[in-house]
Amino acid sequence: MSRKVRYLMLVILPVLAIFFQSTLFSSYSIKGSIPDMVLVFVAFFALLNAANQSATYGFLCGLLEDLYMGRFIGINALSKALTAYAIGRLQGNVFKENLLVGVIAVLVATVINALLLVGLSLSVSEIYNVDMGLFISIVLQCVYNTIIAVPAYVWYYNSSHHGWLRKTGEN
Amino acid sequence: MSFITINLTTNDREQITGIEKLIRNLYTPLQSGVSEFRVNLGDFTTIFQNKNTLNTKIKMLEEENRRISLENQVLRENEAELKRLRNIVAFVESSLDTYDLLPARVISRSPNNWYQTLIIDKGSNAGVKMGMTVITPKGLVGSVGSVSDNSAHINLITDREMAVGAILQENRDTNGIIEGRGDRTFLRLMNVPYYSAVKNKNRVITSGLSLTFPKGIFIGTIGEITRERGGLLLSASVKPAVDFDKLEEVLIITDYHPVTESQEETGE
Repeated sequence: MSRKVRYLMLVILPVLAIFFQSTLFSSYSIKGSIPDMVLVFVAFFALLNAANQSATYGFLCGLLEDLYMGRFIGINALSKALTAYAIGRLQGNVFKENLLVGVIAVLVATVINALLLVGLSLSVSEIYNVDMGLFISIVLQCVYNTIIAVPAYVWYYNSSHHGWLRKTGEN
Repeated sequence: MSFITINLTTNDREQITGIEKLIRNLYTPLQSGVSEFRVNLGDFTTIFQNKNTLNTKIKMLEEENRRISLENQVLRENEAELKRLRNIVAFVESSLDTYDLLPARVISRSPNNWYQTLIIDKGSNAGVKMGMTVITPKGLVGSVGSVSDNSAHINLITDREMAVGAILQENRDTNGIIEGRGDRTFLRLMNVPYYSAVKNKNRVITSGLSLTFPKGIFIGTIGEITRERGGLLLSASVKPAVDFDKLEEVLIITDYHPVTESQEETGE
């Protein structure tokens, strides 16, 4: 039962994140930037799970975004998979109980994901206009995501150990 | 695998896949619901506004109505004069093209920071097709990106992957390209020859040179002008005519008919 609830939650979180990002969050953008909750959840998952599992979860979450957007299918899937893998590889030596670790993981994930997305967009798009505004946009995304990460990590960490996201066999 | 799917799903594809349609169709009713709820919430809170405020507003609106009626008379006279002048001029610009317009409501926006898009509540069932131009009475919004049965993604002109052929309304010789920079309040006019008479507050309109956008649609006004490295080209910031943050309804140009000289002579 616990495993089914966990899997259901892991599916519901990115689905709801896309829904709220496309409706409510877009009204509260800072210079056009909105928080990327899908990435935040992927970063948290990667912080608390193995690298390979994290890459798969990142890939599926990114694929959902790609299918919803209907542009280049695979661009978000690839960037989120690689981002999750990187966080998953780094998470072995850190104290995950520390809130700051969750916040830093989101900050690092935002930067890696942004660099991958810009690189992939430049390589696959016929036109992709790059200027200083892109750098400012990435900085704003970092700020927005890390602010959101504070309450989100408290909930995610607790849920991973005592709540719906708890793995089978854990107390 | 990702690279294969990225290559197979470029912007040029005519149709989105079944699974993409399925996901859109699942999200569309939910997003329409949220959009409807926000509109209704606005109506509900209006009831509690102070009566005096409402009375003042009514007076203001009556005043404005009188002013607009007078302006309307002047404009009608100007329109008649314009038609007469157009019959005299042999080579007319096509800014009086007539459009077949389909209104649509904005139900959601891009869920991430990388694409500047809107989702509207009209899709292929209403006759919307990929590549159609999207406008508001104020100016150009973008073009239809991908279409599902009951919704469509609009790529805004502010998207980093958008480029629109443009000319200045005051000086038809000045050609350039409007590029999106991922910022809803800012566009860039590029590739303008250094000798062009481009000035601050000039109006930028579509040139009609691209296959997507009809000629003569207002894009925005020129801001700061800078000379590019090399000195042979100018670029300028452009303030979009449309406020993309407050966009609630848009018009899709499903078809357009350039006005011909014979039509104008007969007064059609």
